[in-house]
Amino acid sequence: MKRFILALALVATIVPAVWSKDITLLNVSYDPTRELYEDFNKAFAKHWESKTGDKVSVKQSHGGSGKQARGVIDGLQADVVTLALAYDIDAIAERGKSLPKDWQKRLPNNSAPYTSTIVFLVRKGNPKAIKDWNDLIKPGISVITPNPKTSGGARWNYLAAYGYEFKRTGDAAKARDFLKALFKNVPVLDTGARGATTTFVQRGIGDVLIAWENEAILAIKELGKGEFELVTPSISILAEPPVTVVDRVVKKRGTEAVAKAYLEYLYTEAGQEIAAKHYYRPRLESVAVKYAASFPSIKLLTIDADFGGWSAAQAAHFSEGGVFDQIYQSGK
Amino acid sequence: MQFNRWVVTATILLVYGTGNKATADDAAAEVKALKQQIEQLDQKVRILERKGELEKDATAEVAKSSPRIAAGTSGFSLSSADTNFVLRIRGGAQADARYYIGGGSANDTFLIRRARPVLEGTVFRKFDYRVMLDVSTATSSSAANNGFLLDAYVDANLAPEFRLRAGKFKEPVGLERLQSWNNLLFLERSYPTQLVPNRDVGFMAHGEVLGGVLQYQAGVFNGTADGGSSDFDQSDSDKDVAGRLFAQPFLGSDIGGLRGLGFGVSGTLGDHAGAPRTYLSPGVQRLFGYRTGTGTAPNVLADGQNWRVSPQAYYYWGPFGVFGEYVVSSQELQQAGGGTGAGARADLQNTGWQVAASWFLTGEDNSWKAVAPARPFGLANGGWGAWELTGRLSGLDVDNAAFPVFADPSQSASEVFSWGLGVNWHLNRNVKVQINYEQSDFKGGSGNPALADKEEVFLSRVQFTF
Repeated sequence: MKRFILALALVATIVPAVWSKDITLLNVSYDPTRELYEDFNKAFAKHWESKTGDKVSVKQSHGGSGKQARGVIDGLQADVVTLALAYDIDAIAERGKSLPKDWQKRLPNNSAPYTSTIVFLVRKGNPKAIKDWNDLIKPGISVITPNPKTSGGARWNYLAAYGYEFKRTGDAAKARDFLKALFKNVPVLDTGARGATTTFVQRGIGDVLIAWENEAILAIKELGKGEFELVTPSISILAEPPVTVVDRVVKKRGTEAVAKAYLEYLYTEAGQEIAAKHYYRPRLESVAVKYAASFPSIKLLTIDADFGGWSAAQAAHFSEGGVFDQIYQSGK
Repeated sequence: MQFNRWVVTATILLVYGTGNKATADDAAAEVKALKQQIEQLDQKVRILERKGELEKDATAEVAKSSPRIAAGTSGFSLSSADTNFVLRIRGGAQADARYYIGGGSANDTFLIRRARPVLEGTVFRKFDYRVMLDVSTATSSSAANNGFLLDAYVDANLAPEFRLRAGKFKEPVGLERLQSWNNLLFLERSYPTQLVPNRDVGFMAHGEVLGGVLQYQAGVFNGTADGGSSDFDQSDSDKDVAGRLFAQPFLGSDIGGLRGLGFGVSGTLGDHAGAPRTYLSPGVQRLFGYRTGTGTAPNVLADGQNWRVSPQAYYYWGPFGVFGEYVVSSQELQQAGGGTGAGARADLQNTGWQVAASWFLTGEDNSWKAVAPARPFGLANGGWGAWELTGRLSGLDVDNAAFPVFADPSQSASEVFSWGLGVNWHLNRNVKVQINYEQSDFKGGSGNPALADKEEVFLSRVQFTF
């Protein structure tokens, strides 16, 4: 009898191990989320294994958000995309036919589990006395921001600057001239936010970096301790980086359940904690309260209320021949 | 007086002090301005360097996704960025001259011996393909299309150890037959090659194991007569099996003198029907043929089992290279026409052999494959190209039982021995000039003007390949 029970115990131990699966997911994300997802992936793998017994390994791909979206449209087999802005995922839905058009309704908060905003990173002591957006167009100020054609972060930067001037003057032409003057002060256009951070922090170029809040705090705390300061402008924009499952890929690979669970885990307290620790503003109230001191209060524009949504903003500003093409070409 | 001195001293000190202060202020301003200027220049340099980095990144990114076009000694090629899809355009032509010194009835002539466009490449990374035509002198699109379409196959590269090929290609039997047409040591392939199949339609498994130490090929084909090609089985429904094992036991070893040694054995087995082929001399004259005819005339046809066996070897060491092969080809025949021996049957075994060697006077490493000259020919750079001396001994022995029922002893030789010398001048990887002298002594066939005396022939070739 004892031998029988021992054998049963052995079988009970071995069978789940034999049946457990090794799953691989690919998360195609934008530039500054490397560190966030490195931690999050570990936490989710642990969570998923304890829940199902399956081992999940998540591979990461990072780059400018627009560029990453084009990669997925061209066939990059992403199980999930976690990009900088909804427009890039819309493009995957429309041109790649990889997910439904109403993908944003599938998860809470417009499928954006965390938010961020746009701030300034300046050199220690703020030698050029940069306090707000209007300081960036002064002669002799060198501004670092990536290319809005390839970087989602750069599009948020651009719209925050535009919104500042438009709110101040109520005049679209003046807002446009403002951006023209600003981009005249941009000596280098990187393709992504991490590249722009490299330009400013490691290559020592420029007086101010327009950056994701999380990227700016990361630079201050980890990339160049004591060398930089964060400047909060009077007005900025609510950046909502969205996430979604790429239906076509997960159905083909049989990873739909785990991919959905992966994104849903971002909304849990554990997921929100990890986001907050990496300087993303959490959505979950309990975690947001806990980390409130880390994030300064700023008046924030929104893409829907102030720009008519991403489709309108994209068409007006970033499409071929849009405002950016006009002001950047002529400003050169 | 004392007052004046005091005034003068005070004035001097005042003037000196003021001047000094002014000079110090100027210097400080100058230093500040210079510092600013240096900072500005430093920023400009950093910006230029960063732009360079970004341009390099962008170029690398574009290169990753751009199709590639290449042109060079190996032809022209187009490929997708990930090289999963490749098209190579290759080809070449051989312009020959034949000059008969003694014996023979053929005319001295210039001719285009081969003119071959080649399309080859890869699709979906694992599938290689090749199409090769021949549009040279005397090549026509026959009913069987034999001469015109040489290669047309797809090769599934599942692993280096296991590949599958289907289509029309060389049967894996004769050593010299398997050597590429543009790397031949002599202008005309020798007797053993005439006893093995040329190109045939079928499928074949092949691969290399132990890092290339052992090669194998095994396939099923329509089956062709000695030296023949086929596009479809016109005479029967039987198929041939063909196989080859070839070892290079010292490949990749430290024993330099043995690295270039390779040896193996090949063979075919099947049932054949239809007309057997004739055999040719080095001067491309008919030296042996079975009786042909209609009505009451004798007419010999293959009718039954055919098998071939061919031991073969090569050895390359530095500028020296030698290869040899021996072939036995056995075929059941029937005298299917009228006349003498009508209805007779025989199982004839013909044999052929050759040993061919070469030496690069200019020191290049000899090889079974193409040899690149160390110093390509050029008047400007003083290069002479690669010079190679060649020599060959070869023979053919037709089964004595062939005579007189299956072949006419007055018109066909029963034995032939040939020796030849040559010079190959490889001007560069693409252009080669070859000159051969070859002499053949025939036994039998004295009624045939081509065989009445020994054959002495000069052959020359200008070859261009890409």
